[in-house]
Amino acid sequence: MTASKALRLLAALALIAVFAPPAAQAQDKPRPGGILTWFDYGDPGRLDVHAESPLVVQQATAGIFSGLLHYDPDDPAKIVGDLAERWTVSPDGKTYTFYLRKGVKWHDGQPFSADDVKASFDRILGKDFQSPKCGASLKPMVAAVEMVDAGTVQFRLRFPAAPFIPSVASAWCRVAAKHILAKYGDLNQPEAQVGTGPFKFKKYERGSVIEWEKNPNYFIPGLPYLDGVKQFILVGGPTQLAAAKAGKIMLWDAWPPMRKTQADELARARQDVDIYQASINTIFLIYLNSKKPPFDNVDMRKAVNLAIDRQELVAKALEGAGVPCAILDPKLAGDFALPLEEVNKIPGCRQPKDGDIAEAKKLVEKHHPNGVDIEIAVRSVGNYVDRAQLVIAQLRKIGIRGTLKTHESAAGYAAFGKGDFTVIASQDRSMDVNDPSGVFHIAYTTEGGSNYGRMSDPKVDELAERALKESNKDKRKQAYWELQRYILTRGDTATVAVAWVEGWFFKDKKVQNYKPGLTTYDNNTFMKVWLSP
Amino acid sequence: MRETARALGRLVRRQPLGAAGGLIVLALIVIAALAPRLAPHGPKETGFAPYLAPSAEFPMGTDQLGRDVLSRVIWGARLSLYVGLVSVVFGITAGALWGAVTAYLGGAADTGSQRVVDSVMALPPIILALALMAALGQSVNNVIIALVVLLTPTAARTVRSIALGIVASPYMESAQAIGASNWRIISRHLIPNCMAGYIVLVTTNVSYAIVVEASLSFIGAGAPPDEPSWGGMLTAGIQALETAPWMLFFPGVAISLAVFGLNLFGDSIRDVTDPRLRGGLG
Repeated sequence: MTASKALRLLAALALIAVFAPPAAQAQDKPRPGGILTWFDYGDPGRLDVHAESPLVVQQATAGIFSGLLHYDPDDPAKIVGDLAERWTVSPDGKTYTFYLRKGVKWHDGQPFSADDVKASFDRILGKDFQSPKCGASLKPMVAAVEMVDAGTVQFRLRFPAAPFIPSVASAWCRVAAKHILAKYGDLNQPEAQVGTGPFKFKKYERGSVIEWEKNPNYFIPGLPYLDGVKQFILVGGPTQLAAAKAGKIMLWDAWPPMRKTQADELARARQDVDIYQASINTIFLIYLNSKKPPFDNVDMRKAVNLAIDRQELVAKALEGAGVPCAILDPKLAGDFALPLEEVNKIPGCRQPKDGDIAEAKKLVEKHHPNGVDIEIAVRSVGNYVDRAQLVIAQLRKIGIRGTLKTHESAAGYAAFGKGDFTVIASQDRSMDVNDPSGVFHIAYTTEGGSNYGRMSDPKVDELAERALKESNKDKRKQAYWELQRYILTRGDTATVAVAWVEGWFFKDKKVQNYKPGLTTYDNNTFMKVWLSP
Repeated sequence: MRETARALGRLVRRQPLGAAGGLIVLALIVIAALAPRLAPHGPKETGFAPYLAPSAEFPMGTDQLGRDVLSRVIWGARLSLYVGLVSVVFGITAGALWGAVTAYLGGAADTGSQRVVDSVMALPPIILALALMAALGQSVNNVIIALVVLLTPTAARTVRSIALGIVASPYMESAQAIGASNWRIISRHLIPNCMAGYIVLVTTNVSYAIVVEASLSFIGAGAPPDEPSWGGMLTAGIQALETAPWMLFFPGVAISLAVFGLNLFGDSIRDVTDPRLRGGLG
């Protein structure tokens, strides 16, 4: 080979190298088709995304409905338009105008319009309508929703509220069809699952499986890539882990997270999965019913707040994957969270526990010299039953003798919602929005959607509202610190913060373009997910 | 005393398996009775590190909540025996009385009651027990109630068949002929003659009751999860099969041993009381 031939060959090779698509790039090209398999930890029973709060309801309906806004599937930290093409805010920060996409159709072929948006939010914000997620976060902020024209909707706020846009983008604030609401009255039935989302509701076999199929008329051409999503209803850790090990499910991204021992077991069984540790913006709470004896008594609530060993619960029930005692997790809420050094010195949170337990015992003895027998309720999902056994063992040390009562998931929610319990030993609450206001408006304020203990403390309400309305970041941080300090040091709350939950999850290596949301509820529409061969 | 020892020696020689079973049952009773003294720790005490492998300090290791498995297995014997014995005594006694009395009365009472027995026995036992537990709620005493409902019709059917043979015997006819009251005939003649069958039913069904309790607890419908039930311990053990196999192994062995012992013992009691097999004892 001459020198010139060799040079020409090198040049040709260089050109090929520059212009030929690299193997990885070819791999990254979305490939349509396939069914994603996933799981729900329990049977949702009811499917009304506006009226319910269990994660399984959100999972069952996530791909069916669209919102005005949502978290960008490509960048889950960013809020982008969904049914709204764009939005504007008035100079005083109190009026938001949403401009809607044109040509969107409901799954039944009816045209979508601003009338549907107004009907949905009027329902969610209705005074007598219980909306524990979307309604609970928007009601304090929104004064009215008005339809400007068929393609424009306006939200008038009571005050300029920083969490408004994240709340509207929440996966719980979905838009339902006005004609469907009129026809069925609610969204509980499978027949009422008519949305504008990337998937249509195909099948719901109670206790077994939920299936979606591709919406060929989805308003973003070319999406979704998947032909469908199949969600198996898998109750109990062993069943879920067995399904994961057998390759029956491709994704474990939601609650309940795997524990370390389960993740290790899965890693030994499957090499075709990526296992990762993450927080799911979820807090583990214990509820005391403040309207029923013995916890209508402040001293008894104080005793429990002192006696619960959050560190032991994290070490054993969460296998160390959690942030004990914090009402806000610094990893998720950043500066808004009270520093953990301070939190861990507060009575009830501090270690060792001996002093707090002795104090708690005295408080119980003051009202119940021979101790007291109570029923301790828990939904038999995740590892709640294990957690409850630890709680019972801890309360026994101070003279509170608990008998465990387990509920099936949906039945438990129904009982807790009616206040039909004395203690709920374990209830994880996931945040609807990645904002410090979330946990307070879910679990601590009088109107909180998951204030199961029915605690009403005007000072908590006032501080939570002040922090919500504050637009200056430093002042807002101070307001949240004050609120956290107040709840923790007062020590008689009916909502006992045990820990922010972390855990292990997995994704089958075939699942492409899936990015976990900032909350466990978001980015579960799978609109841009595809499966590699 | 010497006579008793000799009889026991004869039993061991002629029914060695039964004697072994009796020994296991005796051990089970002793462990259950002395559980508070024998168990090194409280069965619900969670103060230790979780998933500790068996060691000198924890001979059967610790579970996922840091409880001593040995202590829970020991207390589990008490729970299993309590559930087994109480449910069997109540269930078999009620069933035996039902069967004996209706067999004696005959006619519509007997036919009607047997149709009730048919209806209950047509239901798969574990499904019936599950349904009852769902209706009654989870507690140890409710497990006993569910077991009584399961055991009563079976005992009624078996004892009725024994009683029908007795009712047809000449001495029963003689008792009726001399004007003895129904109550006297049933209490003095019928029931005592059904006792052998009754004892066999009791001994053979204790193991059945223990297995049903363990099964119900295993599927989360039996004793409350914090109670040291062998079946409940198996449920927790399944979840940590690879991490802590001792959580599954020891309660599993306990259930197997208890059932094995009770079955051997029950079989030998049957052999001893059955006239057709009595020759075996000599």
